[in-house]
Amino acid sequence: MKRRDFIRHSSALTGGALLLGAMPTLGAYAQSGTPTKGGTLIWGHSETTQNLDMHQTGTASTSRLLENIHDAIVTVDSDFNIVPSLAESFDVSEDGLTYTFRLRPNVKFHTGTTLSSADVKYSFERVKDPKTGAVNFEVFNDVAEILTPDDLTVIVKMSQPNAPFLARLAENGAGVIIPDGSGDTQGEHPVGVGPFEFVSREFGNEVELVRFADYWQGPAHLDKIISREVTEPTVRLTGLRTGEMHIINDIPLDRVTELEADSNFQVSKWFPLSWAFLNFNHKRAPFNDARVRLAIDHMIDKEVLVQGALWGQGEVTASPSFPSSASFNKDLSVRPQNFDEARRLLQEAGFGPGELEFVFKVTTNYPWHVEASQIMLEWFREGGLNVSVQQLTWSDWLSQCWVDRDYDVTMMNFFTLWEPDFLYYSLWHSTGAFNYRNVNDPVVDELAQRARVTVDPAERTKIYHELQQRVYDEALDVVLWFRNGTLAAQNNVGGLDKLVHPNGSNLEFRHLWLDT
Amino acid sequence: MTTAQLVTPAAPSEASRNAQRTRKRIANALLNTKGLIGLTLVIVFTLMAILAPIFVPEALSTKIDVTARLSPPTAAHLLGTDQLGRDLLFRVLLGAHTSMIIAVVAVGLSIALGLPLGVLSGYFKGWVDLGLSRLVDTLLSFPAILLALAISAVLGPNLRNTVLAIGIAFAPYLARIVRGETLKVTSLPYIEAARSQGASDMRIIRKYVLPNIMAPVIVQATISIAFAILAEAGLSFLGLGTQPPTPSWGLMIQASRDYLDVAPWTALVPGLAVALAVLGLNMLGDVLRDVLDPTFNSDR
Amino acid sequence: MRYLLNRIALLALTLLLISIVTFILTNILPGNVATMIMGTRGNPVSIAALEQELGLNDPLVVQYGRWIGGMLQGDWGTSLRFKEPIGSLLGQKMAASGMIVVLSLIIAILSAIPLGVIAAVKQNRWPDTVSSGVALAGISLPDFFWGIVLILLFSRTLGWLPSSGFVSPADDFWLSIKHALLPAIALGLSLMAHLARMTRSAMLEVMSQDFIRVCRAKGLSEGSVILRHALQNAIAPVVTVAGLQLGYLFGSIIVVESLFNYTGMGWLTYQGLLNRDVPLIQATVFIIAAVFMLSNLIVDLIYTVLDPRISFD
Repeated sequence: MKRRDFIRHSSALTGGALLLGAMPTLGAYAQSGTPTKGGTLIWGHSETTQNLDMHQTGTASTSRLLENIHDAIVTVDSDFNIVPSLAESFDVSEDGLTYTFRLRPNVKFHTGTTLSSADVKYSFERVKDPKTGAVNFEVFNDVAEILTPDDLTVIVKMSQPNAPFLARLAENGAGVIIPDGSGDTQGEHPVGVGPFEFVSREFGNEVELVRFADYWQGPAHLDKIISREVTEPTVRLTGLRTGEMHIINDIPLDRVTELEADSNFQVSKWFPLSWAFLNFNHKRAPFNDARVRLAIDHMIDKEVLVQGALWGQGEVTASPSFPSSASFNKDLSVRPQNFDEARRLLQEAGFGPGELEFVFKVTTNYPWHVEASQIMLEWFREGGLNVSVQQLTWSDWLSQCWVDRDYDVTMMNFFTLWEPDFLYYSLWHSTGAFNYRNVNDPVVDELAQRARVTVDPAERTKIYHELQQRVYDEALDVVLWFRNGTLAAQNNVGGLDKLVHPNGSNLEFRHLWLDT
Repeated sequence: MTTAQLVTPAAPSEASRNAQRTRKRIANALLNTKGLIGLTLVIVFTLMAILAPIFVPEALSTKIDVTARLSPPTAAHLLGTDQLGRDLLFRVLLGAHTSMIIAVVAVGLSIALGLPLGVLSGYFKGWVDLGLSRLVDTLLSFPAILLALAISAVLGPNLRNTVLAIGIAFAPYLARIVRGETLKVTSLPYIEAARSQGASDMRIIRKYVLPNIMAPVIVQATISIAFAILAEAGLSFLGLGTQPPTPSWGLMIQASRDYLDVAPWTALVPGLAVALAVLGLNMLGDVLRDVLDPTFNSDR
Repeated sequence: MRYLLNRIALLALTLLLISIVTFILTNILPGNVATMIMGTRGNPVSIAALEQELGLNDPLVVQYGRWIGGMLQGDWGTSLRFKEPIGSLLGQKMAASGMIVVLSLIIAILSAIPLGVIAAVKQNRWPDTVSSGVALAGISLPDFFWGIVLILLFSRTLGWLPSSGFVSPADDFWLSIKHALLPAIALGLSLMAHLARMTRSAMLEVMSQDFIRVCRAKGLSEGSVILRHALQNAIAPVVTVAGLQLGYLFGSIIVVESLFNYTGMGWLTYQGLLNRDVPLIQATVFIIAAVFMLSNLIVDLIYTVLDPRISFD
């Protein structure tokens, strides 16, 4: 396959058309005007950054900051086409077994050294090595060999075709290139080729970045970014109102409308930032019974849930795929609330009113999950279930639900992954890295595996649609909603329209400037 | 625990003896109104705690109505609603039940733990006292709220563990007071007399020691309940106390913090409930102290 | 005197016992360290391997010995969550907390004394009622409630003070004070309430004494009597007691610092508890307990010196 063909095909795969208007829509102030250089931007960041190693970190919130320090070998455009980044071109052989990357010359690292094929080989091998503990190590599972014939050429040989390989390099840090040998210090002091250089972090308080003068796409407008980590939503909003901060992400859900009407600020909203689902522990009876799962699905009024828990800042969905990607199955419709049907299914499964008792574990890390659980609890009671809610801190949730899988019912949200292999294989395959629900469905397993080795994009898309249908029919999980991304800024912040990366999660601060 | 209980009034000085009598008269003058207010508040909240669950079905306090969220007080919702449209009147009434029960049981637990420790320590003296006092002093080295937080984190947050956490954290304070009082009592001549007549230790403790130390224990218990209410609120505020959707005052204040500027009543309603209950208990405690034990001062 | 010596001799023993209690408490925390380090990357195999590597499978006594041994050499271990040596974290956070604690003490004293004096002078009249009301409100409502009200008033409505965060005084002294002010007020309110009540009763006591009557008889103005004579005599014990409350304030910082996102010791402790960061919890809990205990000891010692009749037997 030629490169052009590949791009065309992958665009078909990931979808060209915007189904639901995925791109940022601006509030009161459309951005125009000329960028001015200089200034320090203070960002009220919604979460505490964790491990600063881009390869190891799994949280979207930390990546959001780190993406400004790094670039990946390839990236995506707004239609989810794989496009060049640090590689100025790339080719895939007909058999899908050889990938050739031609690197851009004269790309500088923050250390002053020039990007070469050795750095790429080092980075890829580092992610592949299970000892590194990279979230995306499985991206390189089928990589047999990495060759560096010259300074600017990298050849990756696969042991078998791996259809999502390129796409996964473009997503979530797997394709981020760090200087040869810098792995051990990345967690404390990240170094990359990105538009901003890391200066310092005071844990849980702030991170300081400065402009990197030799950035390969031209230096950023801002001199400096200070990321203040303020996890309390209202405190963040107060910070914006008092002028302590120039920009905040994740406006408190209940204040978005109010802030949109306020001409003192610019509000940017995009759809979606993340999606959420209700989980059943498939190893625990009776949640291994589809009738019980479906009954619970029937008790939930998703529209009311979006209003109640998200204050309307989102939309209901039955497919977790990125809404503008081809793999989004628009034929699935959200199950309406139907208590009669729910009671009938429960009765069929052997549970009369009040006979099924379970604990619903929910993490306080996401306040809207706590709200959602309380709303659902009322419906569960109405449906004749005997449910209690248990709130867990993030660490307890990780330990009890994610690792020990000690729960009956829980819920979680993930940032929207436009790359379907990552999404479906890791979450629903019985051996998937994120299968904390003990899902073990032979149909799903077969589909996820088949998609992985299916090179034809249209065929692959079909498989993913089938897979979603299966998840839906069996109610393996109950997909609930897509949540909006929001940010608000002072009126003197320019370039907001370009800030949000097409993947709906990352923020590219190099596009911003401060009017004086 | 806030600083409140821990602040230590100056030890009585020589010069203050005279003045104490004057102060006593002032206290007596205040006693009636103060005691009356305190007692009324405590009775009201006790009744609320006992009667609310009988007359208000729990479902009313958890009933969600998204269309009526953050409603100010209206005819339909006399004290307004919270962020999920739940009725604040019903929640604050049932919250009284949760908060008061936690506080009372926790203090009961702290007495159950602290009383024997203190009595044994003060009565037997010697090695028993040395050992137990070390234990109590060590536990007293941890600020009560820190100890309660740590215990709650260890046990996992829920209603029962909140009671345990507060009860255990408060026990050493009680043990210390009981020990001091026991020491005072055992040095009295009639204990010696009883002992010389061959009364057993158990009998002396039961017949002479316990009845004589009850007054300060009651005073301390009353004031401790006030602090237990504050402690429960603090734990719930940090997510390590009562779990939703159970209505508790601390949880209600925690939930209100995001809506304070648009719906101040969501904080004022539970805040006022906490304030009045604590105030009542403190006033009653002060008065009880004056009546039951004029010489008793502070928790030290 | 023998009591003093005893008490000091027992200091080391109590510190040892505190360390044991802290260690036991942190080691029965559910959800273990390895799980927390691995986060979403964790699976039973990798977690078991990490447990082995961290020495979490060693007998508790060995682990305790390792902890104490390290601590005596100034090595507090490494925070799992912050990935930093705890020793360096502690220095920084102690200074931050020290700032709000001292500030809240100053605020409490400076506001309590006028309140108490006015209440005493206008005894049983409306200023007394108002002053008592303020004091009661301070005691009866939890500090985090006041914290929320302060944010609403001074940040949100008036826009005078920042609502959250910590700035090092070395970077910007005034900004640093501004950040510390609201947490300090929230922290100091209940102490202020108590000091106001103390001042009031101390003033009433002094003013009923003979020398005040002598002063009045000499024809000194009422203002002069109150401010120059009565207050001077009443203020000493109040200030002394207030000064001795540093340790207690230090115990109350957890909730307040968490509310204001003020990155001091209390915040650090709460982060440790939330994240099952066992080495960090051990260090912070031990230090807070040690500070708390030392301040208790100093209170006792000073009382013993001031009033030899107290025997503390």
